[in-house]
Amino acid sequence: MSLDQEIILVAISAYLIGTLALLNYLLSRSELAKRIGIPCAVLGCAAQFYELVYRGTTTHIWPLTNLYGSLTLFAAMSVVIFIGFALRYDLWFMGGFVLALAAGFSAYSLTWDVGYLPAVPALQSYWIKIHVPLVISAYASFLVAFVSSLLYLIKYYGEQALAAETVQPTPAATPRAIIVGDAPNLERAAAAGNTLALWLATLPTLSKLDIITYRIVAVGLPLLSLGIITGAWWAKEAWGAYWQWDAKETAALVSWVIYLLYLHLHTRNAWRGLRCAWISAFGFLSIVFCYLGVNILISGLHSYKV
Amino acid sequence: MESASKAGPGTLRGWLDEQFGDLLWQLSNFWFGMTLLGIWGFMTLLGVVIDQGKDPASYFDAYPAPLARLVLRLHLDNIYHGTAYVALIGFIIACMTLATFKRVIPARLPPLHPVKIDKVPLNATITLPGDPAGVRERVAAFFSDKGFLVRKRELGGVEWTFADQHNWARRGVLIAHLGFVIVAIGTTLYWASGYSGETAIVTGTEATIPQNGTRLKLDRFAYEFQPIRTRNGLVYQPIDYVSNLEVAPRGGAFQSRVLRVNEPLNVDGTLYYQSSYGVALSLRLTRNGKPEAGSPSAPLKEGDAFPVGATTRVIRYERFVGTIDKSGGIGPDPRPNKPGAILDVFDGEQPIGRALVPIGRDLDLGNGYRIAATGFTFFSGIQYRHDPGIPFVALGAFVLLAGLVISFHFLPARLYVRVDATAGGSQVSLAATTVKGFEIFEEQFADLVEALKLGLGLGPSSEPENAGT
Repeated sequence: MSLDQEIILVAISAYLIGTLALLNYLLSRSELAKRIGIPCAVLGCAAQFYELVYRGTTTHIWPLTNLYGSLTLFAAMSVVIFIGFALRYDLWFMGGFVLALAAGFSAYSLTWDVGYLPAVPALQSYWIKIHVPLVISAYASFLVAFVSSLLYLIKYYGEQALAAETVQPTPAATPRAIIVGDAPNLERAAAAGNTLALWLATLPTLSKLDIITYRIVAVGLPLLSLGIITGAWWAKEAWGAYWQWDAKETAALVSWVIYLLYLHLHTRNAWRGLRCAWISAFGFLSIVFCYLGVNILISGLHSYKV
Repeated sequence: MESASKAGPGTLRGWLDEQFGDLLWQLSNFWFGMTLLGIWGFMTLLGVVIDQGKDPASYFDAYPAPLARLVLRLHLDNIYHGTAYVALIGFIIACMTLATFKRVIPARLPPLHPVKIDKVPLNATITLPGDPAGVRERVAAFFSDKGFLVRKRELGGVEWTFADQHNWARRGVLIAHLGFVIVAIGTTLYWASGYSGETAIVTGTEATIPQNGTRLKLDRFAYEFQPIRTRNGLVYQPIDYVSNLEVAPRGGAFQSRVLRVNEPLNVDGTLYYQSSYGVALSLRLTRNGKPEAGSPSAPLKEGDAFPVGATTRVIRYERFVGTIDKSGGIGPDPRPNKPGAILDVFDGEQPIGRALVPIGRDLDLGNGYRIAATGFTFFSGIQYRHDPGIPFVALGAFVLLAGLVISFHFLPARLYVRVDATAGGSQVSLAATTVKGFEIFEEQFADLVEALKLGLGLGPSSEPENAGT
């Protein structure tokens, strides 16, 4: 096994341990679990960045010219962006899901690791050092936003289930209730010792989860916009047209429109919350299709499968 | 609902103004705009699914006849340049402009008016000693120091202080929409006065670009493949494609230029790109050992065909094979080590055979006919494009991006502050609203209240007094 493969296995192992630790933190709020999970997250993404640098410096080949390299960066950037937001907004409870996805994508990247191949002519451009990291960072942001939306949906439907169990009528929401996220059914069930309610109560309020998702998407969308712009500029230099309705371009535009719609609809009270959480979740599926589906399933200008 | 009836109700002018106002209001509706965007998306998708700008016959080859006729009659073969598509984009932009000016900006720049502090979800009250006028000044100075735009108004007999944060960012949406308009101007410029195309030039020959008269002569085309051992086996990785050209603008002399992928040539504002390459095949048709009339006079490109003498048979050059392996099959090395060509034979439109013919060898076609692959030469596929709209598209894209960043990363918020006299001094009442709801400002509001208390000489407290957060 080569050194870079050993490094990537270290990263995957760190992510898996971190996943267990931070899932434990999500369920139990154990500080010990958090103290184990955070260094694992840091170690995992540091190892992946080191692996990319190692590949680049030993082969003198830019490491993001294939799916293996870009998936490695995707996993590492997802964890970096998660750590950034977690430090700012105390989101460590989301870490288990983020690290699990990072471990999954890292493991999947290994199936595309064919060794060291120099870039094909179309990829021999300085734009690859700008466009690809931008787009991958945008994808990574959307992964973190997806996890946050997922937690919103879990909490929302958990509360709905608890509401269905209780016979007491739900008081009408007041502006104050919206702000503090009062959930009487949840509080009652938690007070009665309901395990699900006790756990749901440890999560931030729905409105806070909604705002967390919004903030992450608000980082991802400008990155994706910049990625599309730089990609268009590169396409103009390489292929003669900044936009050719290639499958990748179209899929990226569709994803961009979905997240733009998300941010527009988030300004409307009726759409903020549940509907926006679904849009964010759906948006990430479109990103996965744009990133992997198009690269693997559809032949086009972006089909750099090896 | 807005209505403009300056001419007064009941008059024709007033009625027309009202109808016009109604129309503009409907056109600026969010869901109307979204519906237009959906139609645009559908039309765009049609353009992706249906090959654009092809020969009419190719649609009959690709689709059942009724569908092909539909594509051609509805001009779906050239959807992006159709009047409907361009008009739709113009309509979307017009609706975006209307929405920006009639709905977004008015909603984001509400007039200064009093609010019921305790009814606003984000609210707090602070009591402190001191006369209200002095406290009001200190509160105003606090928010000014924090970078807020502070304005004072006396409304309904009460002195209000309004403190706005990132007020300028309320125009982010306008900037983003302006970016769309600039991009649209750029694409319209290309649509109106740009051109593009592709030409394939065989080594040693010359091509003229019809739109600008530039002549291109291909001296040499070369490619480089590197055999690389990977974990999946041996891969022949393309490394470089390069055309050595002689280029002469209309009325100018030839100059030597080198064209590579990612390194376009700029000749008088038109860019030339190395887009593809291929191998042209020289073939000689004989019958009973004598050259046959109708033998191809020029090398064929992949996909070209020619008839076999007076028969109904047709030979089509399918593709070039760089290396024929020891078993006579297609080797993995694309470089011309032991080259050959795959030829398909048709009787009418019916395929009757396929053969891999080594270069320098011939193939018996029956009835005394033989076809020989006598040689090969490279041709270079070159795209060209003249796009006067590029600077506008680039500028528009960055204006759009700036608008997005302003809209999503700078939160315009307004604080409503009133200071009332109490028995022991003054009571400061604050409420906050933002253009993105209340939750997003909750933490910052709590921090501001704490900072204000410190600024007013009160000690920090674990709970803001009567804070509605």
